[in-house]
Amino acid sequence: MAEIILVTALGLAAVALIMGLYRLLAGPCTVTRAIALDLLTLITIPLLVGAAVWAGRAVYVDVALVYGILAFLGVLALARYLEKGI
Amino acid sequence: MRQILTPIVLLLLGAVLWQAVPFTAPADISEIGRRFVEFGVADNRAANIVTSVIVNYRGLDTLGEVSVLFLSVTGAIFVLRRREGLILATPTPSSELVATGARLLFGPILLFGAYIFAHGHLTPGGGFQGGAIVASSVLLLLLADRDRAMAHNALGWIESMSGFLYVVVGMVGIAIAGSFLSNKGILPLGLWNDLFSAGLIPVIYVLVGLKVGSELATLIDAMMHSGEKEGTQA
Amino acid sequence: MIFVDVLVCAAMIATAIAAVFQRSLISAVIMVGFISLMVSYLFVRMDAPDVAMTEAAIAAGLTTVIFLIAIRRTEDTESGDKE
Repeated sequence: MAEIILVTALGLAAVALIMGLYRLLAGPCTVTRAIALDLLTLITIPLLVGAAVWAGRAVYVDVALVYGILAFLGVLALARYLEKGI
Repeated sequence: MRQILTPIVLLLLGAVLWQAVPFTAPADISEIGRRFVEFGVADNRAANIVTSVIVNYRGLDTLGEVSVLFLSVTGAIFVLRRREGLILATPTPSSELVATGARLLFGPILLFGAYIFAHGHLTPGGGFQGGAIVASSVLLLLLADRDRAMAHNALGWIESMSGFLYVVVGMVGIAIAGSFLSNKGILPLGLWNDLFSAGLIPVIYVLVGLKVGSELATLIDAMMHSGEKEGTQA
Repeated sequence: MIFVDVLVCAAMIATAIAAVFQRSLISAVIMVGFISLMVSYLFVRMDAPDVAMTEAAIAAGLTTVIFLIAIRRTEDTESGDKE
């Protein structure tokens, strides 16, 4: 049962990754790509946690924790650059 | 001509790498790998064997890495330093959300970075990762307000003293246990998976984390304030 | 789980090819950030959490900001060209 739930969750995250990837590659302007990067970082966090559950080790969740805390810094830097505040 | 040649060269490079990289794991780990795994916990009692390799078995290489980082950041800051008479363009002031959020989040991110380098011998992470996160917290403050007052002297002192104390810890190894950066008999090894365990490993990783964090923070500050040409319109 | 790995590798290759042909430098920097993200996931899949955490800590904030500051400091101040 847990296997089915894990595979379903990872499948949904993979579908979301494809959608975000389309917007990253084909976004007509730079701001669209910046928002797509933010979205893709948020999608990678459950992918990392899924990899940790698949491997069965709890210590791999620390990597997802680092991304969870630092994800917004890159997007904030891009936004400050685009409004000429950096 | 370059448009045709570049993809061909890249494809050839890809073919070379495809042949050269083995795509299956080796059947047996090497001799020294087996020794690290077998004797790692008995020698150091650190839960993270990678940390015990980096700090104890290959401690001299880590000292070399720390000095290479110091040299490169010093060189970069030397080129980018503030000079008198240069004018920087005034940045757009940040909105209230960014300013308040940065001040609120600086503390937790700093604490998280300190957690990562203090627990280097228990969880994945260590000095370099924790130092980078500490520098990211300072970067957050600088993104919100570029011309804020920064304690350059304090950062310089922390960086220099951390590097100096790393070498002093190595000398203590010579004085007590007979070899540079040794881990035997200086601090108690303690219980496995405890915070105060693994001898000198947490001490060294705290010093490395402080050094890397203050170094990268100084570098980001120097890059943000590097001047444009003289007399540029502000 | 292998299908996620294949998808991640394909995404990495596609983004790397697209990053070369971008007209705006900022878009290329964004794509490099995405590639670092995928590399960190592959490191976790290969049982190397220390390396994955290093990649996460360095790429999530620091390299993007260093690229952006370098682009800002080297653009033409009169016309705002990014070259």
